[in-house]
Amino acid sequence: MSLALHAEWTKMRTVASPLWLLLGTVAATVALGAGATSVVNCTANGCGGDTTKLSLMGVYLGQALVAILAVLIISGEYSSGMIRTTLTAVPRRATVFAAKAVTLTGVVAVAGTAAVLGSVLAGRLILPDLGDRALSLSDGPTLRAVFGTVLYLILIGLLSLGVATAVRDSATSIGVVLGLLYIVPIISQTISDPDWQRLLEKIAPMSAGLAIQVTTDLDSLPISPWAGLGVTAGWAAAALLAGGLLLRRRDA
Amino acid sequence: MFAAPDVHSLAGMEATIEVSGLRKSFGRTVALDGMTFSVRPGLVTGFVGPNGAGKSTTMRVILGLNAANEGTALISGKPYHRLRHPLSHVGSLLDAAALHSSRSARGHLLWLAHSQGMSARRVDEVLELVGLTSAARRKAGGYSLGMRQRLGIAAALLGDPATVMLDEPFNGMDPEGIVWIRGFLRSLAAQGRAVLVSSHLMSELEDTADHLVAVGRGKVIADSSVADLIGAASGSRVAVRTTAPQDTMRVLAVAGATVAAIGRDTITVSGLAPDRIVTVLNEGAVPFSEVSAHRATLEEAYMELTRNAVEFRAAMPTEVAR
Repeated sequence: MSLALHAEWTKMRTVASPLWLLLGTVAATVALGAGATSVVNCTANGCGGDTTKLSLMGVYLGQALVAILAVLIISGEYSSGMIRTTLTAVPRRATVFAAKAVTLTGVVAVAGTAAVLGSVLAGRLILPDLGDRALSLSDGPTLRAVFGTVLYLILIGLLSLGVATAVRDSATSIGVVLGLLYIVPIISQTISDPDWQRLLEKIAPMSAGLAIQVTTDLDSLPISPWAGLGVTAGWAAAALLAGGLLLRRRDA
Repeated sequence: MFAAPDVHSLAGMEATIEVSGLRKSFGRTVALDGMTFSVRPGLVTGFVGPNGAGKSTTMRVILGLNAANEGTALISGKPYHRLRHPLSHVGSLLDAAALHSSRSARGHLLWLAHSQGMSARRVDEVLELVGLTSAARRKAGGYSLGMRQRLGIAAALLGDPATVMLDEPFNGMDPEGIVWIRGFLRSLAAQGRAVLVSSHLMSELEDTADHLVAVGRGKVIADSSVADLIGAASGSRVAVRTTAPQDTMRVLAVAGATVAAIGRDTITVSGLAPDRIVTVLNEGAVPFSEVSAHRATLEEAYMELTRNAVEFRAAMPTEVAR
């Protein structure tokens, strides 16, 4: 396993695109978060609403780049045929798959941490001085939101890896993942029945998972923060299981 | 020419591929239909047959990439997935284009080396060996097909394996590259390695292969040493070079020989001894420049070999079209 990990890490660092996608994740996340916080109206009493969630809003965009990176890790090998070289070097397919997942988790954890810390810092700088209500990691719910957002990005990466391993084609995989993330919220907007709307938000990977970012008015959420992240983890686990089983069963 | 290997340790190893009764279907298409043969150390074994005969599928099954429906493929007595550090047992090249186009040749070999616990030093050795050192840091996407074949061969040799398996390595090579690969394959076998090379063109394996496994429609049609094949195909025929082929054929046929034109100025003769041929030609005042024992080319030997193989003829597109 450690040799397979070393190989996957070498693959990752010997082409430029993963680094650019990770830097892009950080830049997009921080930029969108900063943009969102800069348009909010603040008074002396505070900014109204959830400033933590607002400053972390950039993950709506950043997650797409994480998803693309995760898809390319495996589908890039299928499109070139390099997957056969990989499986010749490491014939145990579960090991190859685990090595890819661990490498992805590592790089997304680093980029995701940079992205959320950058977003919080940008939020602190942009929002007016709120004294003891300022964004701070010493605040329990904020820390949970920040840490949880990094986990959320990792789970989106793993979900994408699983989907791409099952689907194999880059474009189709990216379509499936982005559809899963963004189309469900759009559909839920068009549904008038509030019960159905809440159900969709409870089970969709993005809306459920991003409950982890909410720090105010928790009672109005369709699903609690950690349970929501658990739903996203369930999606990721299902995708990894499907991808892993297909990788083991299919001819390469 | 080969840098690192020590021949003595290789000679003691059992460097054999053993394929036994492989069957494999893709949907309704039968790709392998009881494929059975083995590859021995110290020899270049040519794996030949028309496109679609099952050569690549067999190699993929050997490498554990495709699962066979029946039968076994063993390397040194073990299935591929049971090999520890597989690249130091079998080096293979299936598809030279299977690269990430923006990764450098060195980067490609580096991840392969790391997957086997090998260092960057070995990477530089094999790059030197195939003559890619100066291009090592360029993106592989910019390589010509010939350079990619060299890179693929470097990858196959990375683990200094006792068995080397190459699928159509001559494809896309320029004449210089073809000569280079031939010499290279010879030197690998001379070091005691088992070498399996597939090709759909017999002429590529001329003077390279020691042994031939000819396949058609997913099974072996002939499995024989090249020397025996060529000997059998040559028979006791005599080649006559002449500027007057029509006259030559006429006088020799009258004298009772069986004649056939095999080139613009060359005729093969059977049924007459060489000294008798010379006499007949002199008596007929027919000019000739050479009378020698005929040595069949590998291509002729192969055609001879497959002439009676129904499976093979049925697999030939021209036969199917009739």
